[in-house]
Amino acid sequence: MRALVVEDDPLVGDAVRRALTAGGYAADHVASAEAAKSALHAEDFDLLIVDVGLPKEDGMQFVRGLRARGKIVPVLMLTARDGLNDRVTALDLGADDYLIKPFQVPELLARCRALIRRANSVASPEITFGGLQLNLARKEVSAGGQKLEVTHREWSILECLVLNAGHIVSKEKLLSSIANWDDDISPNAIEVYVSRLRTKLGQAVLIRAVRGMGYRIDEITAP
Amino acid sequence: MRSPLPERTRSIRRRLFALLLLPSVLVLAAGTLSDYFTAVGPFRAAFDQSLIDGALALAANVRPNADNKPVLTLPPEAVAILRADSSDTVYYRVSDSNGALIAGDANLPEAPRSNVNPSRADSSFLGEAIRVVSYRTYTNAGLLTISVAETTHKRDGVRTNILSSSLAVDIAELGIVLAVIAFGVRLALSPLREVQEQIAQRSARDLAQLPLDRVPLEIRSIVETLNRLFNTVSESASAQRRFLESAAHQLRTPLTGIQAQLELMVEDEADASKQQRLTFILDAARRLAHTTQQLLTLARSDEAANLRWDLAEVSLATVVENVVADRVVAAERSGVDLGAEIEPADVKGVGWLLSEAVGNLANNAIAHSPAGSQVTVRCGVHRGMPFIQVTDCGVGIPAEERERVFERFVRGSNARGAGSGLGLAIVREVAQLHGATVDIDIGPNGKGTSVTLRFPVLSAPPRPAYAGVASGALTA
Repeated sequence: MRALVVEDDPLVGDAVRRALTAGGYAADHVASAEAAKSALHAEDFDLLIVDVGLPKEDGMQFVRGLRARGKIVPVLMLTARDGLNDRVTALDLGADDYLIKPFQVPELLARCRALIRRANSVASPEITFGGLQLNLARKEVSAGGQKLEVTHREWSILECLVLNAGHIVSKEKLLSSIANWDDDISPNAIEVYVSRLRTKLGQAVLIRAVRGMGYRIDEITAP
Repeated sequence: MRSPLPERTRSIRRRLFALLLLPSVLVLAAGTLSDYFTAVGPFRAAFDQSLIDGALALAANVRPNADNKPVLTLPPEAVAILRADSSDTVYYRVSDSNGALIAGDANLPEAPRSNVNPSRADSSFLGEAIRVVSYRTYTNAGLLTISVAETTHKRDGVRTNILSSSLAVDIAELGIVLAVIAFGVRLALSPLREVQEQIAQRSARDLAQLPLDRVPLEIRSIVETLNRLFNTVSESASAQRRFLESAAHQLRTPLTGIQAQLELMVEDEADASKQQRLTFILDAARRLAHTTQQLLTLARSDEAANLRWDLAEVSLATVVENVVADRVVAAERSGVDLGAEIEPADVKGVGWLLSEAVGNLANNAIAHSPAGSQVTVRCGVHRGMPFIQVTDCGVGIPAEERERVFERFVRGSNARGAGSGLGLAIVREVAQLHGATVDIDIGPNGKGTSVTLRFPVLSAPPRPAYAGVASGALTA
C-alpha cells in the first residue's frame, strides 16, 4: 500500500509519514499541492492524506482539482480549524474523511484502514477486517483460513457492521438489513444475533454494544 | 434650554406641542378679550343713552318758580315712569350751581365733569354699584346739574352673557386647535417613529446597515453615524474571527506534530527509562493540546455569543450521538458503561460548540465514575424545552461548590485527574450563547451528578407563544 502525505508543516508531515510506515504503508511526504501533483503524475498511490491549510493552493482546491481530473484515490483531510463548515466543505469537495488536529496516531491509522477497505470493497468482493476475511459476493466469512458457519441473518448483521466499521450502527438499521417484507423481528432479536456472532467470531474482532445507540465493530489492535 | 433639560421636555413631540400650544392659547385669549370689548362697547353706549335721555327729559322739566328758584315740575306719574325698570333701580338728582338739592335722591354722587357733556361714571350708591350720567345745563332757572343713575344688574347680566358666549366659542376653538396641533405634530414626527421602529425591530446583534432612503434629513447624520458604528463593529468582529481561526491553526499544527512524534517515539524507544520520560512529555503535550482546545473553544464561544453568525438549527440527537460515539473507547478503558437516551430535539445554535460543551460534561462524568457504573447522555424535549442531560454515579459535586465550578480554572474539591478547570466554564458559556440554563443536581439514585442544559422553547420567529404550544404538542 502506497500513501502520500501532503502537509506543509515538517513536524506533522514527518510524524504522519512515520506513523503510516509503522502501520505497514509505503509512505511519502511532500509539502505542497504542486509537489503532490508531480508525485501523483509519477506514481500511483492507494491513499492521500492532505492538510487543508497548504500554502498557495490549499488542500480543498487540490482535492477539487484531483476529483475534477477523475482521480478516485481515497483522500483523508487533516484540518486545524474547528468550524463545522470546513468539514462539510471538505466532504462536499470529494474528500472521503477528515480528521481534526490534534489527532492521535491510532485514530489516524484506523481512519486510513477504513478508507482503504472501503475503496477495495468496490474493486473486489474480498475484505480483510481485523482477523476476518469476508467475501461479500459469496457471503462467506473466515478467520485464519478457517471458514466460519454463520446464518443468513448473522451474515447480514456482520456485513452491515463491517461496512460501517468504527461507527455506531443503530439496532433499527441492523434490523432493516435482515428483515424481509414478511418478517416480523423484534429489535431485541438483534441482541441475540449479535451475541451469537460474538461467540462465533471469537477474538478476531470486537463488537461493542453502546447503550441506547447500537453496535460498533472494531479491529482488535494492540493496546 | 441652556441647562440640561428636565425629563418631561426631552420628548420632541411634547416640546413641539407645548411650543405650539402656548402661542395658540395667547392668541385665542387675546381674541376673546377683543371680542368681549367690541361687543360690550355698544351695549354700554345704549344703556348710557337711556340714562342721558332721562337726564335730558328731567332738564326740560326744571323751571323757575315764583321765587325764581328752580323746581322740578314733573308730575309724580312721569317720575314713576322714569324710575320704572324691572331689574334695576333708577335714581336721579337735580341740583343747582351750588350743589344744593332741587329734586331727587339727596346723596346720589355726580359723574365728575369731563370734556363731554353729559359726563359718565361708574360709582356706588346705597351699597350698590351704579352707573351715573350727569348733565350740566343752563336753563332759565340757572346752571343745573342733573344726574341720572341706575344699578348695574342689567349691564352685568349682558356683560356676563357676552363674556360666557365668547368664552364658549373660544374654548371650542381652542379644542379644535389642540386637536389639529396634536395631529400635525404626530404626522410631522411619523418618519422619526418609522426609524425608531426599524431600529427596535432589529436584533441586538444585527450589524446590517440601516437604509437611509426614508430617514428624515434632521436625523440622517445620526443614522449615518450608527451605520458607521455598525460597520466598525462588524469589521473588528471579522478581524477577531480571522485572528481566532489563525490562532487555532498556528497552535494546533505544532501540537499535533509534537504529540504524534512523541507517540511514535514512545513506541520505538527500547530504553525503559527514556520511554517513561517520553511518556511524561507526551502526557504534558496532550494536556497542553487539550487546554489549547478548551481556550479556543471559550474564545470562539464568546465570539459566537457576540455575533450570532453561525446560529443554525442543530439536532441535539446528533450532538449526543457524536459525543457518545467519540467516547466509547475512552469510557471502556475506564470500565464505565457509557450510553445514550435519545429523543428528537432541535435547538438554534452552533453545533460544534454544543458538542464541545456536552463532550466536556461526558468527559467529566467518565473521569469521575467508578468502574462498572453507568454514564448516560440524554436529550429530548421536556415541557416544550429541549434539553441535554449527562448523569453519572460518581463522587458528585458538593452543593456549595455547584455555582463556583462554572468559573474558569476552578476545579471541584472532588475533581480527579489533570483537568484544566475550563470544562464547566465552557459549558456555561456555550449554554449562555444558546440561552440555555445549566443545573447541577444529584444523580438519579441519590448518587453522582446530573448536569442538565435546558434550552429555550425553539420559537417559530413570529410568536413565541405559538411555538410553545407547538413544542408542547410534540412532547405530548
